[in-house]
Amino acid sequence: MRTARFLCVMVAAFALAIGFWCHVSLGAVENVVVVNGQPTITTDPATASDWYDTEAMYNLYSPLVYPTPEGSVRPHLATSWQAVGGDLTHWRFVLRQGVKFHSGYEMTADDVAFSMTRFIAMKSGNSGPLGKVTATVIDKYTVDFVLDKPSALFPETLALFFPVEKALVLANIKTSDKYGDFGDYGEDWLATHDAGTGPYMMTLNVPGTRLDTARFVDYFEGWSNEGWGPDEVPIDRVVFIMEADYTSLMTILKGRQMDLEINGGWTLPQLREIQANKTLDLTSCWAQNVTVYMNTKAVPTDDEHFRKAILYAFDYASVVGPWQAFGNGPTGIITPNMAGYVPIEPQPPVQNLVKAQQELALSKYAKNLKDVKVVYHFCGGLDFEEDVGLQLQADMAKLGVKVEVAGPPWAQFGAECNSAETTPNMTCWLFAPQAFPTHDYYLFSMFAKKGLGWIFESHWYFDDPQIETLLNATRAEADPVKRLAIYTQLQPLIAAHALALYPYQKPTLFAHQSYIAGPKESIPMVGPSENMHNWRINLTLKAQITGQ
Amino acid sequence: MLSPSRVLEGAVKDTMLKYIGLRLVQSVFVLFGLSILIFFIARVVPGDPARAMMGYLATQDQLQAVRVEMHLDKSFPVQYYYWLRGLLHGDLGRSAYTKRPVVTDLVQYIPATLELILFATLISVVLGQAMGILAGYFRNSWFDGVSRLVSYLGIATPSFVIAILLMFFFSQVLHLAPSVGRIPIMMTAPPTVTGFMVLDSLLAGQFSTALVALTHLVLPAFSLAVIHIAQEGRITRSSIAENLGKDYITMHRVHGIRTSRIVFKYLLRPSIIPTVTVMGLDFAFLMSNAFLVELVFMWPGFARYALTTMLNKDLNAMVAVVLVIGLTFAVVNLLVDILITFLDPTVRIQRRGG
Repeated sequence: MRTARFLCVMVAAFALAIGFWCHVSLGAVENVVVVNGQPTITTDPATASDWYDTEAMYNLYSPLVYPTPEGSVRPHLATSWQAVGGDLTHWRFVLRQGVKFHSGYEMTADDVAFSMTRFIAMKSGNSGPLGKVTATVIDKYTVDFVLDKPSALFPETLALFFPVEKALVLANIKTSDKYGDFGDYGEDWLATHDAGTGPYMMTLNVPGTRLDTARFVDYFEGWSNEGWGPDEVPIDRVVFIMEADYTSLMTILKGRQMDLEINGGWTLPQLREIQANKTLDLTSCWAQNVTVYMNTKAVPTDDEHFRKAILYAFDYASVVGPWQAFGNGPTGIITPNMAGYVPIEPQPPVQNLVKAQQELALSKYAKNLKDVKVVYHFCGGLDFEEDVGLQLQADMAKLGVKVEVAGPPWAQFGAECNSAETTPNMTCWLFAPQAFPTHDYYLFSMFAKKGLGWIFESHWYFDDPQIETLLNATRAEADPVKRLAIYTQLQPLIAAHALALYPYQKPTLFAHQSYIAGPKESIPMVGPSENMHNWRINLTLKAQITGQ
Repeated sequence: MLSPSRVLEGAVKDTMLKYIGLRLVQSVFVLFGLSILIFFIARVVPGDPARAMMGYLATQDQLQAVRVEMHLDKSFPVQYYYWLRGLLHGDLGRSAYTKRPVVTDLVQYIPATLELILFATLISVVLGQAMGILAGYFRNSWFDGVSRLVSYLGIATPSFVIAILLMFFFSQVLHLAPSVGRIPIMMTAPPTVTGFMVLDSLLAGQFSTALVALTHLVLPAFSLAVIHIAQEGRITRSSIAENLGKDYITMHRVHGIRTSRIVFKYLLRPSIIPTVTVMGLDFAFLMSNAFLVELVFMWPGFARYALTTMLNKDLNAMVAVVLVIGLTFAVVNLLVDILITFLDPTVRIQRRGG
């Protein structure tokens, strides 16, 4: 009897809980957008470097200059800048007046100089490309930066420099011997608080779990509705939730517990389902480049004709297949949506076995094809990278060349690319435009002797002096238009050496509820497109759809 | 003057305390050995911890600075010395992945997983034992057949598959249960005291939040519990079936003692000893193996943290994670041994040297 009573109570409690849960999920129409954009690793602008971090940075902070769709920068916190003297080591920036931090205090040159000094001293995050920078306050709204080496790209690199409020950071320094008198430089505090000027203020950050933000009404760019629909209003609250399996994300997207997904890892059936759903939309903002580097120091990919044979033998159409409907398509050294894109050989990307055989016949391995083997490695677990390898295996088999396909775990795969000797013949990567300037990232960082090395240059080819000269010239050219011309000139020159196979570009598709509008401006780079100032919510439509 | 039973009780108590003390000392040595093992294994597996800390775009200068800061430029024994020195000061180092002190990460993530697996264990104990007792008592009946089939299915189906299926049916189709998280996304969490959402909600007087948090536990906990219900159910069933044929049970029956009394008083106690042993191991096993279920249900737990740090070659976090799992095994095994001592008088006598 007692057991039965206990069971009844338990069942009643459970039913009550379910009822309550249903009740809480049916509230009034709220001006809140839930975004799947975690895990943000750190929200400290001096240490942030990951993809997710950059997305958070563009919401909580403002960069000194803002990226443009053309790959250059425009005024933002700084209204103008110029090189002082002719050697590109001294730059002067004039700051916007009246910019407020989230605390309400006005941003001045002192804050910017402090932020730069902190950024450089902490030797972390995106500070690497800047080298050593000395910041000096000229007046309340003017700051000078002196570099240890000339850089024409210095203003562009500041698209990833986010000033912090000096007084607030100094007030929250923890004792540590890490940075001398500055203790921990406020690193721990900034991991869960913000000191920025961005469009959204941090209200809660549980690292790796969720980041809650509220609209900063005094944001210096304002919240004008110009260019938006009559019912589309600024989003008041943005909640970034943690990463999950895409099946779960699909469930909460369809259940309207999530409004926007900004990582774009959907499978093909899921994309079809989203496309077929009338209350959901897909938006493409920037593309990632699927890149298969060929190691020019390993047999048999050390032979240029052999590498060209691979480019012609690959069946591009088959591997893209149904993904074509979602924007996957031809690409090159940079992605087609970037300014100055030049289609490279073979274009159009179609399989040409005759030409592949001709190239193979010219290679030094033509007479002993049975003895050579191409090793293709991809990051274990990434199906689309495996598909590229298997397609290549099938295509090269038609030419009598054996391709071994393997997907070691990431740590092992990355370690293999530490040197040319240990790098497999072919390594598959998915390069997102997560550094700025993006042209410099896809060209200088990936092909110059002083580039990023490692996985970014696992072709190991640095033997063309013309390419090296031009790449260095891009970093010495201060005029963005002239620089773009050099980038355009470089692409066919690099492509001529057949250093990589580019199977396709993969647009990052943001899935969202149809009552979410944006982004107003699509910039081919991780971060600015995910700036929620660039998005709006249609509350009338939301009410209609949710029936509230 | 003490009665003989009091004397015996005191002797048992002394023996138990000595036994627990000995086991604790042994555990310290085991954990020390484990720390050396994982410390060196973590360093020889491929991958660059400096890259993990600084991100892909770090320059060589930045990487070198981090290697020096993390003592990676020193020999393994020297690195271990620094690590051990930190441990003795309560510092497990900084996570290369989260960039926070590892201790802060553990404090954040462990309670979420503990709450989940405690609930999963509760479900598996209740359902597993019920299924095992009934199947054992009514052995070779239709119920025994069905429970066997269910058990095999439960053992053969991975937890994450069950998780996805449960989420699909109960959240997406029937809308009966919440899908992700510890509480609804838009609900305000109670202030963190213990890290257990249900408990913290109760402590904060947020009873409705506690109730909702309980409903959020059901699907992920059940997904984790299924395999253990199956496993423990089968073990209990075998023990019950075996003990049912013993003379003392026949004797009780002959004396006309009620069936329920025979089952719950005389049959269950000796029959659940093997199950209790397995349950202890299962609990510790779940600490590190709940990651797929945590991923499916967006559960910000320790198992998921453990996997992420392993994949990112986060040295300090990897060592800490393995130590926590090791510690869990040690503590749970000790508790299980103590529990068995109380359940089984023969063990008590053996430990007393009888």
